This record gives sequence, structure tokens and C-alpha cells, in this order.
Amino acid sequence: MNGTVVKNQLIFDFASGILGPAKSLFASTYLQLNSNASKIGSTFENMLGENLMDNENIQPKNLKYTDCIHNANFKTTSTIKDPVTSFFGNLNNLKWKQVYKGFKEYTASIDDKDELKLIRMDPGVSVPLHSHGGKEYILVLEGSFCDEYGEYSKGDIQINDQKIKHTPIASKDVGCICLSITEKDVIFFGKYGSFLNLFTFIKSFFKSK
Amino acid sequence: MEKSNLDMSMKRIQIDRDEMAFSEIFDFFAPKVNSYFIQNGIKFESSEELTQEVLSTVWVKSNLYDSNKSALSTWIFTIARNKKIDFFRKISKIDFKEEDIREFLYQDREVNIIEENEAKKQIEKINNELDEQQKIIIKMNFFENKSHKKIADELEIPLGTVKSRIRHILTKMQGFLR
Repeated sequence: MNGTVVKNQLIFDFASGILGPAKSLFASTYLQLNSNASKIGSTFENMLGENLMDNENIQPKNLKYTDCIHNANFKTTSTIKDPVTSFFGNLNNLKWKQVYKGFKEYTASIDDKDELKLIRMDPGVSVPLHSHGGKEYILVLEGSFCDEYGEYSKGDIQINDQKIKHTPIASKDVGCICLSITEKDVIFFGKYGSFLNLFTFIKSFFKSK
Repeated sequence: MEKSNLDMSMKRIQIDRDEMAFSEIFDFFAPKVNSYFIQNGIKFESSEELTQEVLSTVWVKSNLYDSNKSALSTWIFTIARNKKIDFFRKISKIDFKEEDIREFLYQDREVNIIEENEAKKQIEKINNELDEQQKIIIKMNFFENKSHKKIADELEIPLGTVKSRIRHILTKMQGFLR
């Protein structure tokens, strides 16, 4: 699967509403910042809208149109800001954790199997050559970075898997802030499960160094 | 009912708060929305409550609908989908209002992002390229959110075939979505 297929898969899954909260927040920010992604998303939503138009009818038993006009339980929700701000608040007020000099991250507390993180890199800072455990999605919120595969600026997404090794460098002028999703490693069960999990644990220990 | 009549009814709701116009929208969409929730694995009683919430949203927030941004059926689909997400989240106790964020995105969307004709052409192209069974698989996978296993059982074809067909359809759609 190439990058475009994975990106579109993310957009389709977002449109059909099956993503978990972490990926969903990630995808909504992607659609907000990237007009091409937003376009693909709305085309796909229009296709699903046609499905609704032609859908079979199952009559509600106890519901009349007047129940919808006079719906006492109906709450109008408050107006909200963009997805990232409404979830994280002001990014400058977060307790960023320094991983090493010029590289900070903030892990969201969100109840999901995928991990959602903000990454902040100072201008010109680079990440040593590395590969990835699970699949990793990176979306640029501010500034830009580049690596062996190209340059990524605001609204661009990069998807990395086990096969990819790279050395990202933040832009020299402004650095960058990114949102990232890491799909968690598989947890093994069964006869050799504990051994394999121990192996994954040890591996992750070395990876984080 | 004709699409254009539904669009007219929606205008009458937006401009005149016309309750009869709303009853027409309700009669057409309520059974389809109710069916959408049931297809997505929601039990009948809950599906009816959710249908009420969707149609109430159509009535209360009618001014959010913008015919330049999407077809009416698309707008109503997105409301139903957002309610579905929050319904499942409520069950899993995740405190996070998806509906608000999706509503923001809809309002934030630039009107001219897709020329109406362009969108229609794209959808027509996709519809022409896909055969009947591929369309059914798309509907089952993305609209009804059925698992690949369930699709395989219902269509009585092997699981591997379902997976490879979905992959094929997605690859095919890449070409149209640019």
C-alpha cells in the first residue's frame, strides 16, 4: 500500500465514522488544514449521502414529526474552536516533556488503542535515523520539516511503517509542531505470548533510548 | 419524493420555519435514518431516539445547512453519522464530543472548495466505474459499517475475496478523487 491509499483510507474511515477518538481527532485536523483532503472527504460523504437517499425504509413506531419540533430533551451544543484547540487548549500552556534538547512531546490522555501525541521541534533540530514499531501518522500543524523523502509543511501528512527509516530535520526558521498517531504494537496471546510480549517490551526499551 | 421538492421544503424551513415543509422532510428521511441506525447495529428503541435527535437537529439547526457545500441528503447523513459516533462513545465512556468538532468542520469548509458540478461529475464517474456488487460492498462497508467477515457471510463469498475487492475498489477510487 502506498501513502496515498493509506491517506484516503483514513479519510474514508473518518467519513463513515468508524475511527476511534484519537484517529478521529487526527483526521478532523487533517481535513481542517488540508483543502485537498477536505475535498476528498466531502466527495466521499456525498457518496454516502446518496446511500441514505436510496436507503430502505424502516418506519419509526412512536415518532411523529411534531416530536422533533418540540423536543424538550434537545440540547444545542456550544460553538467550538478548531479540533486541536478544543482538545488540547493553548499549546503553550501544556506540560511538554523534553525527550532531548530541542525535541519535546506531549502525550494526550485519551482512552483509545492508538496513541495521540504532539511533537515540538526547535528550528534546525534533527531526529537521529530511526525506524518505527507500529504504523505512525504525522501531521504538520505549524512550521515544516524535511527528510529523505521530501518536505512537509502545514497540513501535510506523512505515514511511516516498519519499512521506513528516516532522519527528519525541522525547518531552520521556525521549527515545527506536529500531531502524531502511533498504532500500538500487537499484543501476543497464547502459548508463547508472554515470551513474545517480553521481547516487545525489551525492544521498546531500546527504541526509546 | 423528488430531490428538488426536498430542497424546496428545506428552503421553506430555513426561511419561514414552515412546519408542514418539515413534515415532508421528516416523512422522507426519518425511516431511512432509522434504518441507517439499525444497519449499524443499534437496537430499535435506541435507533428511534437517535432518529428523533437527527430530525430535531435538522429543524433547530436548519440554518447550518448550505446547499453550496453539500446535497441535503449528505448533510442529514453527516448528522446521523455524528450521532452514531457519540452514541457508541457514550457506551464506551469516552468523554469527547465528536458532533461539535464535525459541525465545526462543516461550517469551516470553504464553499468554493468543490464546485458543485465537479463533485457531481466525480460521483457519477465513480458510479459508472463500479459494478453493482462493488457498490453494494461499498455501502455495506462504509455506510452500514459491517465487518469484512459479516459482508462475506451475507454475500456468501469468501472473506479473502471481500478483502481483495475492497482493496481493488479503493485503489480504483484513488484515480477519481483528486
